[in-house]
Amino acid sequence: MIFRAVEDTDLIRQASRGSVESYNLLVSRWEKRMYNYLLRITGNREDALDLAQDVFLKAYQNLRKLDDPDRFGPWLYRIAHNEAYSLFRKRKPEVDVDDVAPEATGQGITMGGTSVFPVELSLAVAAALDRLSPDQREAVVLKHYQGFKFEEMAEILSCPVSTVKSRLYTALELLKAQLAPISPRGVS
Amino acid sequence: MSCSPFDLRDYFFQELADPQQRQVEAHVKDCQPCREELDQLRLTQAALFSLRDEEIPQRIAFVSDPVFEPSRARRWWAAFWGSSGRLGFASAAMLSAALLISALTRTAGPAPAAGLSPADIDRHIQQAVYASESRQTAKTTQLVHDLAQQTESERKLRLVAESEVEYAKKVQYAMERSRGDWKDSPSNPSN
Repeated sequence: MIFRAVEDTDLIRQASRGSVESYNLLVSRWEKRMYNYLLRITGNREDALDLAQDVFLKAYQNLRKLDDPDRFGPWLYRIAHNEAYSLFRKRKPEVDVDDVAPEATGQGITMGGTSVFPVELSLAVAAALDRLSPDQREAVVLKHYQGFKFEEMAEILSCPVSTVKSRLYTALELLKAQLAPISPRGVS
Repeated sequence: MSCSPFDLRDYFFQELADPQQRQVEAHVKDCQPCREELDQLRLTQAALFSLRDEEIPQRIAFVSDPVFEPSRARRWWAAFWGSSGRLGFASAAMLSAALLISALTRTAGPAPAAGLSPADIDRHIQQAVYASESRQTAKTTQLVHDLAQQTESERKLRLVAESEVEYAKKVQYAMERSRGDWKDSPSNPSN
């Protein structure tokens, strides 16, 4: 169990009263997670960093609107989701984000039943994630990498839990077909 | 298609209630297809976790900037209303102050006359004036007396000085006589 001298909720209360130092500490606890979330849904490091900065600035400006400090995580990711999709729309205004075809950056790796090295596995995972639709990919990122519950994901994505589960399970079937047959060395 | 009493994927993500989790757990122990399905999910998750989180290339930090900060008054106001304890204390203090002011204004009336009639007041004033005048007179008398004494002292000093001068002349005359030139001296009274 990790003991924290100051809880996030305390930092949020102090930051909402104008303490920039408290907010910086809060940012330091969330920035890596936020950056990686944005990196996985945008696929671009520069965009992820710019968006992360925008997200934390927007969160600071609207911190007083957060009624329950315990809901800071989903609230912050909701801002991040909106910022990322706003960027997508700006970049491709003529295309509906939901209809964007997954960008195939992988090289068509087929390794069914074959043991691979961790680097190869990472490449295979990255390629498999790239093949998902943006919605499916975001559902996987929020569940697998960020560890949110379905209710929290529904809050972040502003959609019903049933939609969240549908996106996630469809993505999981696709990923399972590509990744489960791959047995990484050292992983039993 | 799974034969589990509840969705295996919900079980895998621990999204079921405790009793349902236990039911699926019991089912999976005796169901080979469901066990294989769960193994596939675990392998997929293990593969996904091979993709490590990256370090953020640049730390995010904010400096105190008045543009983004609420004003001092607004912060105080927000803090005041945000603290129920402080609000309660302020309410209690205001109530106490109101009670105190009410109590003070109710008991405070016109100043008591202290049993003095206008004649007594006049008499007191006359006495005070007389005492003051007496003090002034005594002080003036003393000053005049001191001045007279000073004048007398100065007069005595002047007389002493004059007598000393006279005495010095007599001494000089005696010395001249003793030197023998007294007879030729133009100052001899017999010449």
